[in-house]
Amino acid sequence: MNSYLQPITSKTKNNGCTKFGVLFSLLLCLTPDVMSQAKGAESAANSNSEQVTFVRLTSDQYRNTIHDIFGESIEVRGNAASTGVREAGLIAVGGRKITLSALELEAYEILALDIAEQILQPSRRNTLLGCTPDDDALADQECAEQFIGAVGLHLFRRPLMESEIDSFAAMAQSATQTLGNFYIGLQAALVGMMVSPDFLFRIERSVANLESPGSRQLDAWSRASRLSFFLWDSTPSPALLEAARSGTLMTESGLNQQVEQMMTSAKIEDGLRAFFADMLAFDRFDTLDIDANLYPRFTKNVEDEAREQTLRTIADQLLIKELDYRDLFDARQTFLTPALAALYGVPIPIRQELGGTVPWVPYEFPEGNARVGLLGQVTFLSLFSHPGASSPTLRGKAVREHLLCQTIPPPPPDVDFSLVRDADNANFKTVRDRLAEHRSNPTCAGCHTLMDPIGLALEIFDASGVHRTSENGAQIDTSGQWAGQNYEGVSDLVQLLKDDPTLTSCLIQRVYSYGTAREPNSSELQWLNTTHAQLRNEGVHWRELMQRISRNPDFYTVPNSTEMEF
Amino acid sequence: MACRKAKKTNRLWKFVVSSLGWLVIALPFTPLLAADNLETRGYVISMVHTAAYVDDQTCPAGTNGTRPDVLIRRVMSEGYGEEEAISIINSVRINGGRDDAGNLVGTAITLGGGASYTGDQSWNDFDFNPANVPSAMPDPNAFNATGRFAFGLNLDGEEGPDSWEHPNTGARGIDNQMWRVLGCWDAYHVNKPVIPYNESIAWDTAVDAMPAWLISISGEDLNQDGPVTVTFDRALNIPLRDAYGSIMSGASFAVDTNPRSHNEFNGQIKDSVLTIEPGDFYIQGESQFYPHLQFFNTQLRFEMKDDGSMEGHLGGYQPWRDYYHYLSVRGETDGAIDLIGIFYDLKRFADASPDPRTGENAAISSAYFIEAVPAFHVDDTGSLLAESVGQGPKFSGPAVSQYTEQ
Repeated sequence: MNSYLQPITSKTKNNGCTKFGVLFSLLLCLTPDVMSQAKGAESAANSNSEQVTFVRLTSDQYRNTIHDIFGESIEVRGNAASTGVREAGLIAVGGRKITLSALELEAYEILALDIAEQILQPSRRNTLLGCTPDDDALADQECAEQFIGAVGLHLFRRPLMESEIDSFAAMAQSATQTLGNFYIGLQAALVGMMVSPDFLFRIERSVANLESPGSRQLDAWSRASRLSFFLWDSTPSPALLEAARSGTLMTESGLNQQVEQMMTSAKIEDGLRAFFADMLAFDRFDTLDIDANLYPRFTKNVEDEAREQTLRTIADQLLIKELDYRDLFDARQTFLTPALAALYGVPIPIRQELGGTVPWVPYEFPEGNARVGLLGQVTFLSLFSHPGASSPTLRGKAVREHLLCQTIPPPPPDVDFSLVRDADNANFKTVRDRLAEHRSNPTCAGCHTLMDPIGLALEIFDASGVHRTSENGAQIDTSGQWAGQNYEGVSDLVQLLKDDPTLTSCLIQRVYSYGTAREPNSSELQWLNTTHAQLRNEGVHWRELMQRISRNPDFYTVPNSTEMEF
Repeated sequence: MACRKAKKTNRLWKFVVSSLGWLVIALPFTPLLAADNLETRGYVISMVHTAAYVDDQTCPAGTNGTRPDVLIRRVMSEGYGEEEAISIINSVRINGGRDDAGNLVGTAITLGGGASYTGDQSWNDFDFNPANVPSAMPDPNAFNATGRFAFGLNLDGEEGPDSWEHPNTGARGIDNQMWRVLGCWDAYHVNKPVIPYNESIAWDTAVDAMPAWLISISGEDLNQDGPVTVTFDRALNIPLRDAYGSIMSGASFAVDTNPRSHNEFNGQIKDSVLTIEPGDFYIQGESQFYPHLQFFNTQLRFEMKDDGSMEGHLGGYQPWRDYYHYLSVRGETDGAIDLIGIFYDLKRFADASPDPRTGENAAISSAYFIEAVPAFHVDDTGSLLAESVGQGPKFSGPAVSQYTEQ
């Protein structure tokens, strides 16, 4: 079992029984107390530290963390985390403003109970616990404290204070005495830790920056967490925690060494996937409802596979092939499943055996095929469509907001959309015709002029992403203008998009914001502009970008409160 | 009903020998794309069922009903009155199929699938499953289809007293004795969009578990009239379904290189209708219902649709025991027929391939409705063998048969 936990000591053991109904009731009573104690322990890592931000773990981060600490065999059967809110273009930024409702806490508790039960199963406990009690039916304070201390380091991403260890050990002891089993008592303590804000939130703390008097920076433990969730979308490794403990992480060389090591890990793909899922608004999959009556090839399987296609393609292009970010927009190489290939209308080599996993096949769209880059994939095309119709406006808005970091204001409240939605109108057969008429209203023209031309180039793909050439019998016109230059279709458009520096500056800013969970301040923007200018010439490569940001001391600096909006 | 034993040439036996030869010799797989100047379109079969057509002439004396009717008649054949028969059948799960005097009524059973669950003995007074030895039971003399019209093909090029007339095309000399056997069973006594009940379920089940059946057409310009080559093959992968449960058009299929299920015919397209020169046909299935489908003197008539799909009839002389095997696996419950009656009628109406020793015909003229939707065919290296042309129909396959227009 690969996990971050190391065996500690060993004692004698006895067998016990499980009483989870009672345990659950006990936890419900104990949890508020634990939470208040944990919250009171905010200065645990450093007596001079100052609590800066709370950023709630995403469901993927929760899952990755559990797997990294306790091993892949632990099943995380559920998802207690809500999607969150998007702010400044990212869920990650909105994550710092999320609180925890009583209902969500209960869901986390149920999840934690299941995980704790798995962790302390007889088959795993010897590996993960490292010690055994003299008598299973009795409390073993020393063994409990050892386990709580070891697990707590990873769950809280910092060492536990003595008072915290005592508190959780007392919980274990109380539950053991009530339920008559040491391991069930330990489960209570484990659940208590897993519903603590110190686990569910990344609580960043700052300390004075001695090299820059008057400024503050993240303390070593918070620095480790920020770096780890940024690069790996998961909790810090033992090596990173050790670097935090020893203080080397706070040095330039120590930080660089850790970054270098982390960049070689396969987990770097987890970080990449998490970022692009956020930036490309994959949370929209949660509410995606393409009408199967109109688009029967868009099944639930296709939806799931489309999501994976996009992430797999990005990972391949940016990590394996180490291509420039801009190449994602005209890349013809991707990966397809049989169902996706059928939707795209292309043949793939296939030999799917019954009962086997869905095969992913590398595929390259031929030259001349309009299906280029991310904008030609089912993910983008369906996420930014209406359930029953494509939407040039939504697609154009998505390009502006998610890829170019621009903001399109919402429509005024009294706009008449009836013509735009009247797809059967014989006088306006195509959505281009209907939107042209819509833009004749000066109130609408301002924003639609920004959005519609981009989306109209993608009109050759319906709401499900299937290629088409006509709408209501009329030929679809995909031409338009971008920054004063004409284009005939999506292939031309993406070339113009690639040439636009906003595309790359947006990425760099979004990556930085994703890591800090906030918008950059003015000094950070200056650094980002400089970095952008360099990378645009040298190539906007993912690994290079992540390394530059991770090694930048400003990435761990805490802005003055006047520069931040909480 | 007259029993005719038409003495067709004994082609079934030649066919079997020929097929074995294929297996032994394992001739190299013939690529579907024979020449650069040929266009090849690929299809996957989305629906198969016996070609049903009924009108008021089909069963003038009435139909044979369905499973309860079979059971009641079967019990009455032992001398019970109708009411008593109904009583025995109604309480068969309680009293094991006994009459008021406690006598076990041997025929109060449903044969085939599920038979062992009825009665307090496995086969109610039988030491064996009568479905496996149907001749041990008397012929129930079921009604057979008559009239002027039925779907099918003119297999022998002749117009005889047993021939039908095609209800859509008006073609005469249609050979489909299978229809005489099946047409008066309620489950088959249907017109599209209704599909024979048991075959609808059988295909719906098989299609998700069985490597697909493929068709390709090669020719210089498939939008024009002209000669073509038509192939049937088995795929290595199963079809995909769309949100309707239709067979998804435009999917990719790897063609099985095993020559056993490879069939090649010379054919032609005329006025968007595909036909072939007669030949042998064998394709392996992989479900409990379709171990294979085989004919000799095979013909087809498919209409090529604007959406890229095809539909029509495939027929030939089929070993009648193949169909009896299919129905016996389905059983009388799912089949909604009388297996014993079907057995006797298949044997009676078989019209080809006489056994050299007994003279009994081993094959029966038959016709199946086939629907095929566009599909890519690739070889085991991924090279394209046939293009998928057209978006395909919105509805196809078994799950949406109610939408099919015909």
